Parts: sequence; C-alpha cells; structure tokens
Amino acid sequence: MKVLVWKDTKKNMESLVKNLPRKYAVDFSPRDQSIKEAYISVDGKTFTFRAVIDSIAPYDETEQNVLKKKSSPKTVFEITTLEKIDPIPLIEFKASGKYLKEMKTWNIAERSLTEMKEKEAYADTVPKDINEIVEDAKKLGFSLPLTVAYDVLKYKKSLDKKEYTHLLKRLHEDIVKKEIDPHEAVGIIAAQSIGEPGTQMTMRTFHFAGVREMNVTLGLPRLIEIVDARRIPSTPSMTIYLKKEYSKSDETVMSVVKELENTSLIDVADVITNVAEMYLTIRPNANRMKERIVAFNDILDATEKVKGITVIRDEKDQEIVVKPQQESFKKLYQVQEQLKILTIKGIPGIKRAIARIEPSTKEWVIYTQGSNLKDVLELDEVDGNRTYTNDIIEIATVLGIEAGRNAIFMESQRTLQEQGLEVDQRHLMLMADMMTFGGGVRAVGRQGISGRKSSVLARAAFEITTKHLLRAGLIGEVDPLSGVAENIIVGQPITLGTGAVNLVYKGLKNTK
Amino acid sequence: MTGGISKRIYRIQFALLSPDEVRKLSQVKVITADTYDDDGYPIERGLMDLHMGVIEPGLKCATCGGKVDECPGHFGHIEMAMPVLHVGFIKEIKTFLDSTCKVCGRIKLTPDEIANYRAKFEDIDMATSDPEIIGMMSKKVTDEATPRLVCPHCGSQQKKVILDKPTTFREEGIKVTPKEVRERLERIPDEDLIFFALNHEVARPEWMVLTVLSVPPINVRPSITLETGERSEDDLTHKLVDIIRISQRLRESRDNGSPQLIIEDLWDLLQFHVTTYFDNQTAGIPPARHRSGRALKTLVQRLKGKEGRFRSNLSGKRVNFSARTVISPEPFLSVNEVGVPEKAARELTVPVTVNIFNMESIREVIKRGSGPRDEFGRYVTGVNYIIRPDGRRIKVTDQNAEENSKRIEVGWTVERQLMEGDIVLFNRQPSLHRMSMMSHTVRILPDQTFRFNLAVCTPYNADFDGDEMNLHIIQKEEARAEARIIMKVQEQIMSPRFGGPIIGGIHDHITSMFLLTHDNPLYSEERTVHMLNYLDIDEMPEPVIKDCKKYYSGRDIFSLILPKTLNMRFRSKLCSSAKERCEYEKEPEDKEVYIVNGRMIHGTIDEAAIGPFSGIIVDRIFRKYGPEEAAKFIDRMTRLAVGFISYRGFSTGISDYDIPEDAVSRIEEISSQAVERINKLIETFRKGLFQASPGRSVEESLEIEILSETGKVRDESGKIASAYLGLTNPSVIMARSGARAKMLNISEVAGMVGQQSVRGGRLNRGYYNRTLPHFKPGDIGALARGFVQSSYKSGLNPLEYFMHSIGGREGLVDTAVRTSRSGYMQRRLINAFEDLKVDEDRRVQDTVGAVIQFKYGEDGVDPTRSDKGKTVDVDYNAFDIENEVVE
Repeated sequence: MKVLVWKDTKKNMESLVKNLPRKYAVDFSPRDQSIKEAYISVDGKTFTFRAVIDSIAPYDETEQNVLKKKSSPKTVFEITTLEKIDPIPLIEFKASGKYLKEMKTWNIAERSLTEMKEKEAYADTVPKDINEIVEDAKKLGFSLPLTVAYDVLKYKKSLDKKEYTHLLKRLHEDIVKKEIDPHEAVGIIAAQSIGEPGTQMTMRTFHFAGVREMNVTLGLPRLIEIVDARRIPSTPSMTIYLKKEYSKSDETVMSVVKELENTSLIDVADVITNVAEMYLTIRPNANRMKERIVAFNDILDATEKVKGITVIRDEKDQEIVVKPQQESFKKLYQVQEQLKILTIKGIPGIKRAIARIEPSTKEWVIYTQGSNLKDVLELDEVDGNRTYTNDIIEIATVLGIEAGRNAIFMESQRTLQEQGLEVDQRHLMLMADMMTFGGGVRAVGRQGISGRKSSVLARAAFEITTKHLLRAGLIGEVDPLSGVAENIIVGQPITLGTGAVNLVYKGLKNTK
Repeated sequence: MTGGISKRIYRIQFALLSPDEVRKLSQVKVITADTYDDDGYPIERGLMDLHMGVIEPGLKCATCGGKVDECPGHFGHIEMAMPVLHVGFIKEIKTFLDSTCKVCGRIKLTPDEIANYRAKFEDIDMATSDPEIIGMMSKKVTDEATPRLVCPHCGSQQKKVILDKPTTFREEGIKVTPKEVRERLERIPDEDLIFFALNHEVARPEWMVLTVLSVPPINVRPSITLETGERSEDDLTHKLVDIIRISQRLRESRDNGSPQLIIEDLWDLLQFHVTTYFDNQTAGIPPARHRSGRALKTLVQRLKGKEGRFRSNLSGKRVNFSARTVISPEPFLSVNEVGVPEKAARELTVPVTVNIFNMESIREVIKRGSGPRDEFGRYVTGVNYIIRPDGRRIKVTDQNAEENSKRIEVGWTVERQLMEGDIVLFNRQPSLHRMSMMSHTVRILPDQTFRFNLAVCTPYNADFDGDEMNLHIIQKEEARAEARIIMKVQEQIMSPRFGGPIIGGIHDHITSMFLLTHDNPLYSEERTVHMLNYLDIDEMPEPVIKDCKKYYSGRDIFSLILPKTLNMRFRSKLCSSAKERCEYEKEPEDKEVYIVNGRMIHGTIDEAAIGPFSGIIVDRIFRKYGPEEAAKFIDRMTRLAVGFISYRGFSTGISDYDIPEDAVSRIEEISSQAVERINKLIETFRKGLFQASPGRSVEESLEIEILSETGKVRDESGKIASAYLGLTNPSVIMARSGARAKMLNISEVAGMVGQQSVRGGRLNRGYYNRTLPHFKPGDIGALARGFVQSSYKSGLNPLEYFMHSIGGREGLVDTAVRTSRSGYMQRRLINAFEDLKVDEDRRVQDTVGAVIQFKYGEDGVDPTRSDKGKTVDVDYNAFDIENEVVE
C-alpha cells in the first residue's frame, strides 16, 4: 500500500496532536490522491507518528485554521487521527523501488511489510514414514535420532517384521555403545583433529572455486583465517542465488550483475582538474557508460552526495563542472579524490560479479569478488535463503550468532574437504560453538578464547606472561586451579578423563 | 612413591608484597655487594650469605641447617637508599597520579559519582571475575577523573603528569621524584582503590614504589665454578651487586650532603639497575649487558616465552626413566610390541614395592646382580638399585647382590631392569595427536635401535631414514593401568579424527595382499605351507585339486586370517570408480570384495581393504570383534604379507618404464604439437586478438589457457605411456593397489614430466623479462616458461633440469613454512580448547561451568566410535542381520 512519508518539526507535530481533526497545509502535491495513510518522522531516521488522511485538497488561501508546514503551501490534508507509534526504521519503506536511507522532505513510499510467517514446527516437516520409524522405536522403549531413521527407511520395506524390530534394537544398542565417555577431553581431541591435518595442507593460497575467474583463499591460510576470526577475509566472495522466478532469465541476471557491481565515477568518466580556474570537469565516456549501464543523470545524482561543491551541468557537451565552494587548492584536491571513488551505482564492497549457469540445475548463479551481505539481501531478485558469503563476521552481524556459528562450521569443513582431509564434523562443531558461545565471534588465541581463561597461570603460560602475573597481584586474583594447564603447572592431576573421578574407600568400619 | 596425592591445592591467590612482608620474609639484610671471600667462603651479609641457602656441598644453611638439596633456599632483602619505581607497574602508577588529587589523595570524582560507581564495582567479586572486564570498568572511571583540573574534594589546583618513558614522571616539566610519587600514593585512601581495579586487601599503591627489595634465594641464582676454578655468578646476582653498590653510594652521597645533581644522577642510576633487574627488555632503555656483551637474563626474561620458566619448566618437564634412539622396522613384532635394545633395557628400571607375596621372587632377581644372562647368554632382568623406606638408594653390583637380596624387607622398593612384557610408552615428535604416544609391551632385542611393526608407522608418522623415538618407563601402578587400558596400540586403531582405522598395512603389505588375491592365483602345497609358516595358524585352507595335485588359492589363504563369522561386501580401490565392469576384473562380480562367514569369495584386497585411513576390513573387525581381534588381524596380515612377498619376490627397475618406440615418438609428437598450439595462442595474443575471459585481463586469460593446454598434454602422454604398462608392471601394481605413488608419477617417469609451476602459475621470474638468458627477452613460449617435455627416464636437458629444480624448491619452502604455521595454529587451538570436557549428561562444559554444547556433537556419539562420522552404520547392521539369518 502506498503511504506518504515526510519529515516535520517536533513543534508542528505537538500542535497537530492537540487539535484533531485538523487541516494541515504542506508544500507539495501528491499525484496519487488515494493515499490514506502517512508516516511522519521527526529526526529523519525513524518514523514515530502515523496519520490518517481523510481528504486531500488543493490549498486555498482563504481557508482558516490551517497549520502550515512551510511558507508556500500547495496542498491541504485533513488529518483525522494522529497516533504516536513505536519507532519504525526508514529501511521498512521503499520509494521508487529503493529502500529509504535518509528522510529529507517528503516522499511517496511503499511500506514493504515483512510478513512474519510462523515457521512450521520441525516435527511437522519430517515425512510421515520417517516419523513412523521414530514411533516404532519409541514403542520399543528408546528414541532413535532422525538422521538414523532416514537411513532405516529402505530397510523397513525390505525386511520382515521380526528382522525390522531386530534392526531397530540393534541400532539402539549400537548408539548406546557409541556414546562418548563422561569426562572425555573432547576439546583436546577436537584441537588435535583440526590441527594435525594442518601439516598436510597446502600453502598455495589461491584456488579456483566454482568459477575459474574467481580466486579464493584455501588450504592452511584459510583455516588460520577462520580460526583467527579475522574481520575481513583475504578474499571475500559471495555466491548469490536468485529467486526461482528470475533465476532462469538471462536479462534479469545481467541486470542484477550490473546492479551489484560497484561502479565508481572513475570507471565511467574522466575527472579533469583545471587548477588555474579552480574547477573540475567530469567528462563521461559514452562507451564505458553503456557497458556499465549508467545514465548521465546517474552521475549527476551521485555528485549530489558530495558536500561542499557547486555542480553545474553542461547539457551541450554532456559534461559536469564541479566547483568547490571554498576556494583552496587543498579543497580542490580533496574534491577530486572524493569524486574519483564516488559510487555511482552498485553495492559497496562488491568489486566484481560474474554470472554462471549451474550445470546441475540449469540455473544462474552469481559469484562475486568482495562481499556485502546486508545490501545484497535487500535486492528483490536475490533469494536470501540460499545466498552465501564466506565472510564469517559479516554473517554473524547480519544474520545473528547462530548463523555465524554455522558459517564457521561450514567454512572450516569446506576448507578441509577441499584438501581431501577427513575430519569428523563433531570437532568442527565444537570449535564453532566454542568460538561463538559468548554471543560474538571470538578468535582462537590470546585476544579471544585463551585470553579470557579464568586461570592466571594458564594465561601466563600461553602468551604475554608478565602482564597477567602483575595484574593478578594488583586485583588479588584467585586462580581456582580448575583447568588443565594450571594443574600441570602446580604438579597435580588434571581434572579431565581419569583425573576427574575419585575413588572413595570407606574402610571396614561400615561393614561391622 | 607410594600413597597417592596427600595434598591438593584448591586455589592460589595473587597479591603484592608489602615492604613489611618483604622484611618479614627475609632471613638476612644484605648490605655488602661482595659474594665470596678469598678462600671461597660466602661473605656474611653479602649476596651469597649462608642464610639464603647453600649451593656448595659440605656447607650447611644458616637458616634451616639443611645441606645442598635439603635446604629450599630463603629470601634476603636489600634496603634501598631511596625509593625507586617498579617498572611492571609504571602504567598503573601513572593512572593513580592522573586521577587522584595530589594534595588530598582522593579520586577526582564528585561524591555522587563515587557512590554511583562504587555500587557498580561492589556488584562484582574482584578475585574471581574476568580481569579484562574489571580493567575496562576501571579505565572508564579513571578516564573520567583524569581531565579534572580542580579536586572536587579539597578544591586544590591539579597539574598534568606526563610519563617520560620508561620511568620518569614530570609535572609541567619538573621531575616528580619516586619519593614524591610514593608520598602521593600513600595519601590515597583504601576505599578509593577499588576504582583502580586494586584490591586493598592484597595491595596498596605505594607498594609499587620500592623501598626495600627482596633478594631471591641462592638456589634461584646459583653460581657456577668453571674448570679453571674461576667462579661465575648468575645474571641476577650480577644485577643485585649493581643495585647494592649504587644504593650504598647514593646513601653515602645523601648523608654527607653531596650536591643535588650528583644525588639525582645516582638515583637515576639506581632506578636503571632496578628496572633492568626486573625486565631487561624495557622499551626505551638499553639492556644491561654482561662483560662479554651478552644481554643479561633478568626476572622477566626468566619467565617469558618458549624457553621461559612457564613453558619450558612448568608446563613441560624433563623426565627420568626414558630413552631415545634411532628406530628401525621389525616385521616379526606384533603391532603392540616394541623392541628395546638390551643396552637400554639394562638402564631403564621399573620400581617394585616389596610385599609378602613377591618377596621371595624379588630376592631371586636381586641375587642375579645388575647384568645377568641365562645359560644361552640371553638377556635376563636384573636389579640396579634397591631403595630403603627412608629413601636411601643402594646400588646393586654383582659383588653385593647376594648380600643385598637378604636385606630387603616389606616396604622396600626394588628398581628392577626392564623385562619382556612390561608396559612402556612410545612416542615420536612432533606429537600432533594422541596416537603419537601409545603404550607397547616390551621385547628385549639385541643391537642398538628401537624396533616396531611397520603398521604403526602411520600413527607415529615415522619412517626409518634416521628418525628417533622416545621410550618412557611407567613408574606407578595407576599409570600402568591407564596405559594398558586406554593407551595400548590396539585401543588406538580407530582415529578420533575421522572415525576410521589409522593403523593398517602399508607399502609392501598392500602390494603383497594385492598379488595374493588379485585373479585368485593358485599355489602348491609346499609353497602354501612355506607362507603359512609365518603365521600362528596350523590349519590348511580348502585345497583346490588340479592335475591330481593339491593347490591352494590366494583368496583362501587370505581367508585364514579373517574371523570366522565376518561378513562383508565392498568395492576395492582397484575398481572403485568402475560403474559397470572394471577393466581389471575377470568375472563381473570381481569388482566387489565379498566375504561370507570369514571366507573371501571374490574381489581384490588392496588399500581400501587393509590400508591405514581407509582399511575397511580392519574397521569392521574392530567394530565387531574389538581391539584385540583387530590387532591380531593386523599382526597376521602383516606377517602373511611379508611371508608371501618374500616368497614371490617383488622389485621394480628402470626397465619397467620401457615403452615402445612409437609410443615415445607419439608423446614427442603431441608435446611438440602442444608447443605449437601455445605459440599460436601467443601469436593471437600479440596481435591483440585474444579474447579475455570475463572478469580477467587478457594476460591472465592467456596464462590460464596455456596452463590448461600443458596440463592436457601431460595427461595425454600419461595415457599413452600407461597403455603399455599393464597390471604386470610392478610400479603399476603399486600405484593401482594404493601401496605407493600415483599413476601420475609413473607417467612422469615413462611419459613426460610436464609443466613446472611456482605459486600456481608458470615460471616467470629470474632475468628481466625472461627466466634464463637462453631465451629472448619477452619470450613467453612453453619452453621458456618451464614446460618439461622429457620424461624422468629419458632425462631432462639442462634447461629443463633447471626449471624442474625451481618447481622443486617451491615445494621445500612450502613445507618449511607450513610446519611452523600449522604448529602455531595447533598450539593455539589446544590452548583454547584444552579445558573442555563432557559431563555425565554428555554436555560439553568448560572450567567455569559454562555449557558449550548441550549434547556433544549433537548426537552424543564419540567420533572415534562413529562410523566415519555417521551416528550408526544402518546399512552394515542390516547387511549383517541378513547374513546372520542365512546362517
């Protein structure tokens, strides 16, 4: 539904609230007269008022009792109700196909209501026959993991009843036998299992992944990068899938690619500096503009973003003359540099995008160099459910920490698998959980997990020994001696495995 | 040795030492900078005063009366003439000076703010919460107080204090002496300390300015006597000498009223010495040096880093009862045995506590002395020492053996030499996973090396090109029990990394089993008996009668070592990729190995069946019959393999790579065609007609095109070459069975070596615009960029040889860089995860009790016991049930 959105002063709004219904004059005239709803922002960032517009009429100077928004009113709204609402962020509104980023004066926008569908309960998504197997197991007095039930399915048909029951019982016994022992040092086992194959990995940084035009860091350097939880991976890249309805159309794909690729001014135009006259000329290159699908007006729009300049459009020569408002060489230079890297279109951070047809599904997939998950997901054509980036931190910030945990797991598994190294997923899961259980992504190392240990001695033994010891003295820190490293240091049995259990012998007294 | 843990430390609290405590701790006030007098006797009240402990035999500690090794050492102290700052706390002192009033000593916050913040700080427990968080909170508060120029309490004007690194404070350019600093710190009331993350129960800020210095015991800084009889003092003693000297001079100058300038100079000098005494790598001051020019190792240096106390002496220790020597293979040992040289066995001992049950037998052993042999001159265990209950050791020699055997009583300990059947730990560095240290049973063998079965090379990652390994003798019963139950080789067959076997047949074992089972050859009775001679099996397989003679088939011979109820069906490596019919099979069902009730019906045994990592038979036996049976299978399999291959014979040589003349010329032809094609590509590129692939520059696209071209040629030449090398060729047998090398390596020898690469691309460095001066500048043709047309067998021409060595060098550098990088990564991983454990409910917890996972690995299954990661192998269970029903 189309709504009106505008920015107004706090004072105006207050007076509006007091005398309702009220006529309200504004300085614009919406073409669409059917609009019934308006959202008003006071701070330009969030909308805090919702108004119902009863009628829209042209401004009549004779009319009395009108609140004016600006000096030259054009239209009068009759507002019947005005309610204060919980702040709605700008991003929920779309104006001419783009999400609102800032609120200047007014706009006709669409409120893209995110429909919240309740997710089906997990049990409901499980096929019936699988559920039956789980039920069968329950009748026998034990529970069977779903993954196992999937495997059992084909035997349910091929085996007779007695054998089938026998199989279920056997599987259950097997699982019980396979359970991990209490007090097992799973952390050390996981660390060894991930670290040991490191010696067999290649150092060769680059490898082609999916497309041979795209380089992606793999092997040991990538694994170290994951473990370090680097802010920005050395080769960020995305795999973008399109929604089913677009994914087979060549034109949409190409337009999405063009929309993705970050085009700077310097990619489509030359910037010429006239030092003597103190101005800059932007001279667009027609061929390059065509290639990147950039219109002259796009460049003009983009220049508006630069502050402190006067833009003069030279229609005849299709040039733009830019003059800094402040006449100094320093400013001139600054403006020139700013213009060069000015984003005309595209998504910041995406350096290159290449579309490929996935041979198995005959579907277009876009691979990018550079990553910007947040902005890419906002594109209408993009299928957010399948789109992926290899930037773990970005996933964690955009989609939440559980997604970040899965990203660590998947990225590390992919890196190891690509090298042909078998590592049990449980180890990688433990690593991912350990790195994320605090709510943020923490690195494995002195700034992350190790630096946060509860034991002074363990921290001192790892790295930066003296700092920890000196500080411990000041705050009178107590080392609880509960971990491995500190107990080794003081020469006691560690608290894992066989060291975690005690044998108590009560002597002969109790037995008379 | 007996007993168990008598005491357990439950917590350690850290604190600062106050001057009073230092004095209380001290046994002697050190006032003389000298160490020994002319007779070599420690000077009283000197740095080597006997009150601080003894290091020379014969002398007794003046404090505790103990001799060397008895006295633990005692602290002394030095009274400083003037106070000096402690370098480790400079930053903290700065914050104190910044955020407190110089007059009244209160923190520069309003009473409201103080109350507000105090509530926040009192919420947390200083001693146990995260020091990072406390530090951050404190920083916030002090940052607020610092910029205030008027004290909110007394209203006095404040001045900005600047730290002139490393240890000088200035206030508007005027130096603030440590004495003044200390006075200001003294004024800070206890209740304000909490805002500085200082626990007033254990520390006072003025203690960070030293008025008295603790002198460590002599045991901590022993002097060493050189061969020349000259004494050489420890670095710490040197530093302490300097401190005492300057302190004395400072005191004298101060007392006799020397000019302020001289006093200040001396004071600074004292500060320098104390600073370097704590940390000789403080930024901003030159490190104090030894006479020889070597920087002194002072307190911080002793603790820090890989060679520091923490990592080198506390987290890891040197041990007795261990041995290290070169390793060599011994196929006749079981996987869980280790061959120990006699020489080592005589030195390594196992302590045996005498009790009424073993007294007599131990007497017999002692009687033998320390180097006994039986009537055939074979090794028999002897005794090296007997230990009385008070700890005195008595060396057993052949002379006193008889007499000593009578002396032992219940409660004595006898250090018996190693014996066959003892449980020992065996280890090879780098110890990257838990299979790097396993327990074996001892076999005493002649010669000088440790020996073991080849199947355990994989978990240790050992070969015999000079590798050395370590042996540790377990000294305690608990440890021995653990070693036997959880560290035995057979318990470690399954790797926790991927839930498959890590121990299995290697190299010749695989080749041998392949030859024995492929095409099911027949062997005469005599031959069969000869082979089976290697095994502990005394039944013969079903004979096959042919030409009125008894023959035995290879698969039947192999079946002998399989458990009698084993049922399996799997694809061998040889035919793993074949969909319909594999090129190496005689009958259609041959591509699948089929074992029914312990009898192998068809198929070929190769790497997929018995090799490490993949060995599916080993895996099955381990799961169905347990570790003992799996170890038995590996033992028998390796023995059978060695027996069979030594009877059959197996070798390879240069002539195995002979291919016919026309094949050689065909390879030459395709390689010269490729060079031509590449030249054409370059030509189109030069003309500017080369089409770049999307997203890449023309140059990059060309390189990729050329690389794929050269890759194609190598593959093709490999195909041509291997067409003439069938399964009768030993090298092909090795490659195909997975014993060693890949087909690629064979094609390199027989066909063509192919493109050499550096960093994934063709060679392009060296001279300007060319790799070697043999080419024209700018030549980017195949040969100029490291395309090797020759095969290893035909030999490389000098240019190719050079190119090849460039590629080879990259590999070497890569390995060197990789080991260090991955080593550090693993250290960090282990350090971060070492405290995690599974509790009784299969949750994963850390030391604090935080839950990392609610069910370990989401299904609670041990990866070691999982079926290659799967919770359970449904297919196998179903298969097994089906076959059981048949039975």
